[in-house]
Amino acid sequence: MAEAKLSFDAVSVGDEAPSFTHKLTRTDLVMYAGASGDFNPMHHDEVAAQAAGLPSVFGHGMLSMGILGKAVTDFVGIGNLKSYKVRFTKQTWPDEELTTRVVVADKKEEDGVKLVVLEVSLANQAGEMKVQGEAVAEAA
Amino acid sequence: MERDDVVGRPTGAAKVRVERGPVAKFAAAVHNGSPVYADQAAAAAAGFAAIPVPPTFAFSAIQYWGAFPEEQPADPTGGSNPLAEIMGGLLSKGGMILHGEQEFIYHRPVVVGDVLSCEGKVTDLYSKESSSGKVMTFLVTEDEYRDEQGELVLTSRMNLIHRA
Repeated sequence: MAEAKLSFDAVSVGDEAPSFTHKLTRTDLVMYAGASGDFNPMHHDEVAAQAAGLPSVFGHGMLSMGILGKAVTDFVGIGNLKSYKVRFTKQTWPDEELTTRVVVADKKEEDGVKLVVLEVSLANQAGEMKVQGEAVAEAA
Repeated sequence: MERDDVVGRPTGAAKVRVERGPVAKFAAAVHNGSPVYADQAAAAAAGFAAIPVPPTFAFSAIQYWGAFPEEQPADPTGGSNPLAEIMGGLLSKGGMILHGEQEFIYHRPVVVGDVLSCEGKVTDLYSKESSSGKVMTFLVTEDEYRDEQGELVLTSRMNLIHRA
C-alpha cells in the first residue's frame, strides 16, 4: 500500500527535493482550524490576538508541519514514510512566504530495509526558520 | 510535580474512525492537492486499498472527526489528566504554552475505514532555563494507535513547553 518508492541507488546525499513556496493567508488559518479542530483563538481571532499583545493571528505549528509534509511525500511517495519529526522554532504570520526544503542527509539499510533520511525545513522569505526536522522514508 | 510521579501516567484513551470527508478536507487545508487523498480511483492506482491520510492527520484531526461519543472507552485518567494538571497549574501562574516538537512514527499507512484505538501516556517531564533566564518546563506525551487486530499502526509524540 504505497506510491512508487524512491530509488535507493538513484538518490545521493545532498540531493534536494523539488521545493515550493506558499504565501500564508488568514483564510489558510481558518481552514486549518476547521479541518483539525484546533480552535485556539490566537490562530483565527484577530481581535483576541491583538488584545493578547500579538501583532495579528499566527499560524498553527501543525499547519507548517502539514505544508512541509507535502514536499516530503511528493518526493518519497505517499505511504513510504517511516517517521517524520520537527521542532517548531518560530511562529508563522499571515502574508509570509513559506518555502519548503527537503535534502537527502543519509542513506542506510536496517534489517534489510533501504532507508533515506531527509533533513526538512520550512522558512520565510527572509530565511527565518519556522520548522526544522527529519523524515525517514523507505526506498526501493 | 516530580518526573517519577508523572512518567507513565495515562493522558487519555479514544476509539477513532477514519472517514473520507475529513481526510479530503484536511489534505486541502494543508495544501496537499494529491488526488490520492480525495479520489478512490487515484488511491487504488497508487496501490492503496483505501484512501490514505496525510502524514500529520493523526494530530488532533483524527480525534476531532473520528471519536464518536457512544464508542469511547472508559477514561483511564480517572478524571485527573496529568497534561491538564501540570500545564494548567503552570499556566495559572502566567506564561504561555507552546507546541515545541512533534514526531510521528508510521508502522503502516492509516487509511479510510480504519478503526483505531488510541492510548496516551506521559513519557518525560523536565525543565531548563532559557537564554533570557526564564524557566521552561517540557512535558512529553506519546499516543499509540492500534488497529482492531491490536497491531501498532502509528505512534505520535508531542513535546509541550510552558515558558514562564
